[in-house]
This record gives sequence, structure tokens and C-alpha cells, in this order.
Amino acid sequence: MERMSKKTCIAMLLAGGQGSRLAPLTNKIAKPAVPFGSKYRIIDFSLSNCVNSDIDTVGVLTQYQPLQLNDYLARGQSWDLNLNFGGLHILPPYQAKKGGDWFKGTANAIYQNIGFIERYDPEYVLILSGDHIYKMDYSVMLEEHIKNNADCTIAVIDVPEEEASRFGIMSTDESGRIVEFEEKPEHPKSTQASMGVYIFSTDKLKKYLIEDEHTEGSENDFGKNVIPAMLRDGQRMFSYLYKGYWRDVGTLDSFWAANMDVLGDVPELFLNDPGWKISYHHSFSRPQYLGPASSISNSVVGDSCVIDGKSVDSVIFSNVVIEEGACVRDCVVMNGAVIRKGAFVEYAIIDNDAVIEANASVGGPKENSALTVIAGGITVGRDAVVCPGTIVEEDI
Amino acid sequence: MDAVGIIFANTYDADLNELTQKRTLAAVPFAGRYRLIDFTLSNMVNSGIRNIGLITKGNYQSLLGHVRTGAEWDLDRKNSGLTILPPFSTMAGESIYDNRLEALASNFSFLRRAREKYVLMCDSSYVGNVDLKEYFDFHVQSEAVLTGLYSDQVMNNQKGVKGTTAMVDSDGRITEMEITKESPEGSKILINTWLIDRERLMEIIEQAIRDNKRSLRRDVIIPAVEKQKIMAFRTDSRILALDNLQSYLASNLDLLDKDVRADILGTGKGRPILTKTRDSAPTRYGHESKTSNSLIADGCVIEGDVKNSVIFRGVRIKKGAVVENSVIMQDSTVGEYVNLNYAILDKNVIIQDGRMLSGYITHPFFCQRNSVI
Repeated sequence: MERMSKKTCIAMLLAGGQGSRLAPLTNKIAKPAVPFGSKYRIIDFSLSNCVNSDIDTVGVLTQYQPLQLNDYLARGQSWDLNLNFGGLHILPPYQAKKGGDWFKGTANAIYQNIGFIERYDPEYVLILSGDHIYKMDYSVMLEEHIKNNADCTIAVIDVPEEEASRFGIMSTDESGRIVEFEEKPEHPKSTQASMGVYIFSTDKLKKYLIEDEHTEGSENDFGKNVIPAMLRDGQRMFSYLYKGYWRDVGTLDSFWAANMDVLGDVPELFLNDPGWKISYHHSFSRPQYLGPASSISNSVVGDSCVIDGKSVDSVIFSNVVIEEGACVRDCVVMNGAVIRKGAFVEYAIIDNDAVIEANASVGGPKENSALTVIAGGITVGRDAVVCPGTIVEEDI
Repeated sequence: MDAVGIIFANTYDADLNELTQKRTLAAVPFAGRYRLIDFTLSNMVNSGIRNIGLITKGNYQSLLGHVRTGAEWDLDRKNSGLTILPPFSTMAGESIYDNRLEALASNFSFLRRAREKYVLMCDSSYVGNVDLKEYFDFHVQSEAVLTGLYSDQVMNNQKGVKGTTAMVDSDGRITEMEITKESPEGSKILINTWLIDRERLMEIIEQAIRDNKRSLRRDVIIPAVEKQKIMAFRTDSRILALDNLQSYLASNLDLLDKDVRADILGTGKGRPILTKTRDSAPTRYGHESKTSNSLIADGCVIEGDVKNSVIFRGVRIKKGAVVENSVIMQDSTVGEYVNLNYAILDKNVIIQDGRMLSGYITHPFFCQRNSVI
């Protein structure tokens, strides 16, 4: 086939993880497809970062519950990634002549798609995970990678010392070269945590993926296997310190907290940034209507909502109904949820299409109770009381 | 639906000069995030029309920027879909046409190439969510030469603005029709929408151009009323008129009524009004914002008070500002402690801190696009 041109750098986005710590939000959808920040899905941030960083070829590796994710991504037109050469490609596991397999680990998922990488013959491959909320210019990191003549560059953020043992931790020398990497160490030697964002020079990536595939007992994981193997062999591996906004939304608490970052007079996660637009797929909607009895304070509200109740310090997604006399406070209220008259919801995540009937009471004050979660499509009956910290997965 | 759609982006009746100085009527913003063309295109698409020609005359830059390839309406097709028909004056002589007949004559090849049996012609001077399928079936069954469209619920039409009125008998046949500024007792206001057999229309156009006729309504349709079967179909949908600024403001504010909003924006009717998407952030409300009875689009930052108003995308209303009974268009900024009442701000207007501006329901205060006050 005649090649139109080659790409300098393509991205491979790992979107197949189950996200079990985010259940029940991930009961039916892959974590990257979980709605976030009123109008977005988690994967929009990584995809928009790619496009804003001039990376126009993205392979999205899917595995767990891909239906909604595939629908959502479509041909990539929402991110201007519907290109004739390059653009967005969905890469599911497949059967081949010599059998086939599910993606066994992050490294194996990329290994199974080496053919896709070869088609674009890039010099560099950017590996991303589709489950973080951040705005990052990968092109700056790529420049560093090239300047360092690196084989692999790993993006890191500085985390508080007490949290460091939850992450993969890098120890570097003065030039930024990684001398040691430890996955979730008990006694961390530094506070530079891996963001799960890697740039590899393509030939080295291929070499180590093939080796890893043939290593007995390997978990086929970048953090656990591939990166340690490259370090052992003395490859040129550098860290790239990223100082902007970055959140892992792997747990219900961290998901709630990252949503709250869009609030405030000067939000930590600034979404109205014309210089770094987060694009998303639009479904049909209308402007929101705020009724005569509505009262909205420090909240964001999505399209098609009809709100005649009260919202305080909350993130309201699209198509939400909050009736007169109902109140939500410190809440994440997801698409299509309905809060009926007189219901009171505090410090909770209300998943898609859940209904809180009249005068029900859900959750408790943020200051002294745990996060409450009402799963998608669940109805909390009239006058029902849901104690703080409960995860409700059946109608009550 | 076996019909090709023709939309006239310019119109020849309405008196909405303030809003159409730099855009065609079809591109006039409405209801927080739409343009008038969205209603026409969505009605056609929702009724099964898949081949649409959009006839533009002048000032069409903002219209084309809005419809682009027609992707939002699924009209970016390999076969048929949306065809933009900018001025192309061969049959109409040297000058750019200024009536519908000449516009159609100039785009004769579009009509000739179409494969559909019927043509649905309309302009974008009214807003409504109309089931055109019912209208189409009525036309086919009645075997009329031409069928017009009217509603008994035309809202906010103004006296003294030119319009087409007709007397319609109990079978739906038009017995009298005129272009007038005063609608006679018992007459219906036709909303400039016509269904006709495509080949018949082509014959009529050729004949009319040969006879040097100037106006489709005045010289062709009205004289035919006595001799031929010309019908009118009554839609149950509400129609919002946009005759002048006063009517424009009233029609926007009428959407604050639940029933009007459900009817016009198609809530639960399965007839969504689609529009160009924009990757706006969700609308953010400040600690001291107050809201009441308002329609608000996405991408806004509301820190002040908004009451009985329609707010478009990307609008910023700063602390202490009070906006009442107003329409604020895309990306405008209302400064701190500004008071607005019965105002219409066009796109990108900046009202600096502390200004007090007020019109009245019969005389809205209007700010031109990009102005700074």
C-alpha cells in the first residue's frame, strides 16, 4: 500500500480496564466512558490532550464493556480525529491465525497491536491510560524525550510523601535520568509518582514488548515488567516532571473530589479555557431551564436540566430534574437523574437515571460522614432514608 | 417522504433589520443556542426529507458557518443531503435576484436533478416544531396543485407587518389570498411554506420567467387561487412570529412557558431541534447567583441575578448584575452591578460595570453585535 506520509508520534490509549474500584459507576460501562464534570466522559481529557498536542493518530485499546465506549468514540469526529490517514482507531482484542487472546496486561495489549503501530511507522509512541483527569501538553514532553535522546520518558508528578506508597515511584539523578523505579514501595525514596504516561522510541518499545511476551511468568504490565526490564538493561530512561492539574479518578472518593474541582470562582480544573479545549461527543440536548423557585449556588449545571429546587456546591450533569423544594448539596448528580419534591441529598454521587422520590433523605453532611452512592437506574422511594456511606444498588 | 426541500434563507417580509444587518434571517439566533434555520432544517429532517437545497442571497457567511456540511442534521451525505445554493444568476439576468421566482429560476438545475416527486418550499421567518409528514400526506391526498401551511396558534405576530393571509374553507381550500399588513377578519396567516409537484413547479417557473413575472406569491399563486385547487393545511403546533424586535423578544420569552417550550423544542415529541454543536463547558454558577424562570445555554458563567430571561452560550453575567426580561446572545458580557431590563444584546456585546439599561416590552433596548457600552 502506498503510504501517504508517516507520523512522528502516535498515541496508544489503554481503555480496557474494568475500573472495579469505581463500581457501581462501572457496572455497565468501561471506566474511560464514565461521565465526568457535567458534560464530559473521562476519556475526553486524554483524547483532547492528544489533539491539542498535535497528535492526530490514536489507537484506543478496549476490552471491558466496550459498547458504550465504542458508541461514544464513533469515528472520532467529536475530537476532529476522523481522518483518512490517522485519526482514531478502536482496537479490540481479536482472534488470529495462531489463536487469539484477551489483553493479558497493559504491555500485552500494545504487543498485540504492534501491527497498528507499524502501519504509521512513527518514531515515537505515546502510551496513555484513559482514566485520568488532566490537561497536559504531550508535545513538550516529546521535545524533552528527543532532547534527552531517551529510549523511554515517564511523566511524573510530585505527590505528598505520605501518599507516595500508592504510586509507582521514580528515583532520578540530577539530569532527570531514572536510576530506580519501584511499584507502590513501602518506603518510597522519592515523591515522583508515575502518571501512567510514557513516551517510547518505537524500536525500543517493540524490542521490549516482544521480549516481555516471551518471558515466562511476566504479568505483561508496563509498570511491573517492561519498565524494570529496560532499567536493568541500562536503557536511557528519563522522568518528565508535570506540574499542572492531574487527578486519578480510580475510586469513588477521588471521582467525587475531582468533579468538585470544576467549582469555585477560580476552579482548579478550568474547563472554559479557550487555549485548551476539552472536546466531547454531543448527544441531543436543549438549554437548561431554571424555574421560579430555583436556587443555585456554586454549582455547574449541564444541558436539558429542569431545575426548580436548590443546588449548593454540586456538579449537575445533563438532563437532570430537581423539583421544587428538593435540595442537593455537595453532590455529583449524573445524567438523567431525578430528585423529586422535598428530597434532600447530601454528599452523594447519584448515578445516571437514578430517581430520588419525594421527601427521601440521602447521605449526610460532608464534614462528618462518608460518601453515599446511588447506583444507575435505582429508585430511592418516597420518604426513604439512606444512611451516609451506603452504596445503594437495589431499589429501596 | 418523497419531497425535496428548498429553504429560502433570506426573506422579504419581516422587519427585523437590527438583527439581519450582518446575517441572513435564517441565521438569526434564537432560544439560547439555536438559529432560525435549525427549526426549518430539523422539521424537514424529522419528517424524513433527505435532500435539501438552501438558497442564499447575501450576507450568508454566518449562515454557512453555522450549517457547514449539515453533519448535525445527518445531511452530510454522499447522495443528496444538504446543497448550498449561493447566488448564481444566469436565467435571472445580470443582477442578483430579489424574489423567490428568480431565486428558483437561478437554481433550476437543482430542481431538475432532484428525483423526488414533490417540492417543499419554505423560508425561515417563523419558528415552530411542525410535523411536515402530516402536511405532506394532506397535500398528496387532496390532489391540490399547491398546499400552504397555517396554524391557529401564531404567537406574537405584529400589526402593520406584511404577511400572507388567506380565507380557507372547511375542506381546507383557499378561497381568497392576499399580501397585506392587516389580516382580514376570519383569515389565516400562511407561514410561507408550500408543497407542489416538482415538475409542475418547473413548468410554472419557466412560464413565469418567460412572462416576466416578478413574484411567486403575487403573480403566480394569488391569480391561481380562483382557477385552481390551492389548499392550506392547519398544523396543531404553535408558531412563533419574529416580525420585528418586539415580536422577537416576546417569542424568546414565551419559551419560558413550559407548554410553549415543550411544543417548540420538541420535548418528548421525538422531533428534536438540532443545532451546531460547540464544545462549551457546563454553565457555572457563582456563590451569590440568583436565578428564576430562565432558559440558559451552556458555557456561561453566571455570578449575578437572572430573571425571566433567555441566555445564550458563553455569556458571562458578573457579580451584582441583574438581568430581567432580556435576551443575551452568545459570548456577551454583563459587567458587575449592571441592570438590564427588556434588553436584547446581540453577540459579543460588552456592558461595562454599573450601567443601567432598560427598554420596555413594546420597545426593547437593542445592542448591536460587538458593541461596548
